[in-house]
Amino acid sequence: MEQQIADLVAKVAALEKSSGMIGTIDLEIYYFWATAFMMLIHAGFLAYEMGASRAKNVLASGIKNILAFAFVVPTFYFFGWWIYLAFPNGFVPSADGDAGLPWAMAMGPNLSDNATGVFWAAFTLFAATTASIMSGAVIERIKVYGFVILAILLGSVAWILVCSWGWHPSGWMLKSYGFHDFGCAGIVHVVAGFFTLGVLINLGPRIGKFNADGTANDLPGHNIPMVLIGLMLIIVGFFGFLAACVILNAGGQWTNIYGQPMTLSSVGFNCLMGFSGGLIGAWVMTRDPFWMMSGGLAGIISAAGGMDIWYPPLAFIVAAFGGLTIKPFYDMLTKFGIDDAVGAVAVHGWGGVVGVVSVGLLASGYPGPADAPGISLVGQIVGVAVCMAVGFIPGYVCSLILNVFGSLRVPDEVQLMGLDQAKVPVHAYPESGKAPAATVPAE
Amino acid sequence: MASPITTWDGAAEYFTFAHSPILLNGILIAAVAFVVFAVIYDAAHETGAYKKVTNPK
Repeated sequence: MEQQIADLVAKVAALEKSSGMIGTIDLEIYYFWATAFMMLIHAGFLAYEMGASRAKNVLASGIKNILAFAFVVPTFYFFGWWIYLAFPNGFVPSADGDAGLPWAMAMGPNLSDNATGVFWAAFTLFAATTASIMSGAVIERIKVYGFVILAILLGSVAWILVCSWGWHPSGWMLKSYGFHDFGCAGIVHVVAGFFTLGVLINLGPRIGKFNADGTANDLPGHNIPMVLIGLMLIIVGFFGFLAACVILNAGGQWTNIYGQPMTLSSVGFNCLMGFSGGLIGAWVMTRDPFWMMSGGLAGIISAAGGMDIWYPPLAFIVAAFGGLTIKPFYDMLTKFGIDDAVGAVAVHGWGGVVGVVSVGLLASGYPGPADAPGISLVGQIVGVAVCMAVGFIPGYVCSLILNVFGSLRVPDEVQLMGLDQAKVPVHAYPESGKAPAATVPAE
Repeated sequence: MASPITTWDGAAEYFTFAHSPILLNGILIAAVAFVVFAVIYDAAHETGAYKKVTNPK
């Protein structure tokens, strides 16, 4: 009898160990494949950006877009992950960041730590997404090395600092204000959108965008179908992005990053409803396929802040508002002389503001995690203001400095000729001969 | 020896040179230096390419 009990105890212990390991491996698998899905965001941004470029600049735009990704990955390893772990209290680093230093034993293959690598990879894809958001807006006239410096600042410093403050279980925006941003509407999209706005002010418009009287010309991209496919790929990638915003707890309920319980089903409901709401809103407003697809993306962003809690028809309405208002917001920026080639500030910046503020307006009263206040309008407004400031200020200041040193804007002669012909050793469409010369009215 | 372990039993961090902080830091510095070099190299390439257009002589 005693032997049987001992055998049973041993079997239970083995079963517990096995179950624990299955949970650990589930976690690795979940975030690994969410990261793989997020790569589609970058495939989408690549197609989107190249399609939105004129034929004379298409490869230069593609190179720039890919390099944003390439430089954010190592720099996020060097210091981005450390910033996330070290700065939840503000500007003074804590010792918690030591685990994210590039020489820490967790920052490489380690049989006692299955989690750090997949979490780092998911956050790195978030980081690369922020840099890619800027990339499309500045096409056809930014110097690549100036852009790379800006991409590193945005992707590996600015957004991840706000992320540490407002998308971390110990972040001060959560602890003091109950800030709630499940799908990074503010943390990623507002920061990236307003960083981009700061850069665009110093970069200036493409030659031919504005006439002497201030009116704007349309500079259509060379391949709108490629733009639409690119936007659809971004949407697919966002399912990976939002999946990575959910915390898998082996043996327990899913939670959001703040530790509040939720279901993955909530993302299933509200991501699709948000996409549809944004699509329809922008279609009603513009009848333009470019803005319709951009509206779908803006719809997801507008619903992202509360995607874990929205009643799905409410997510649809919030997203429809985002879709309806991005084109007027874009037109307003254009009237101020801002040439945003793909509407990134409107889709991500404005869409993100809708995403954060709508949670305060329509979802106040939800309890916070154990030691943090619940959701409130004040908390959301404080949060979105922080996101706007930490996006805009470094984007504006760094691009201003780069501009002073002649490291920001491509010379006018090169813009007129086309960037591909000036610096790319291959042709995008070789059977059509050399990259075509400029043909916009004001040139 | 690049391997920090001699057996898989009880192994934890097992990435190359995990047992040598000096080598790890050297490799890290080399990686950082290559990133910085790549930006500077691109600046030189772009400046030269644009100069050929703006000042062909």
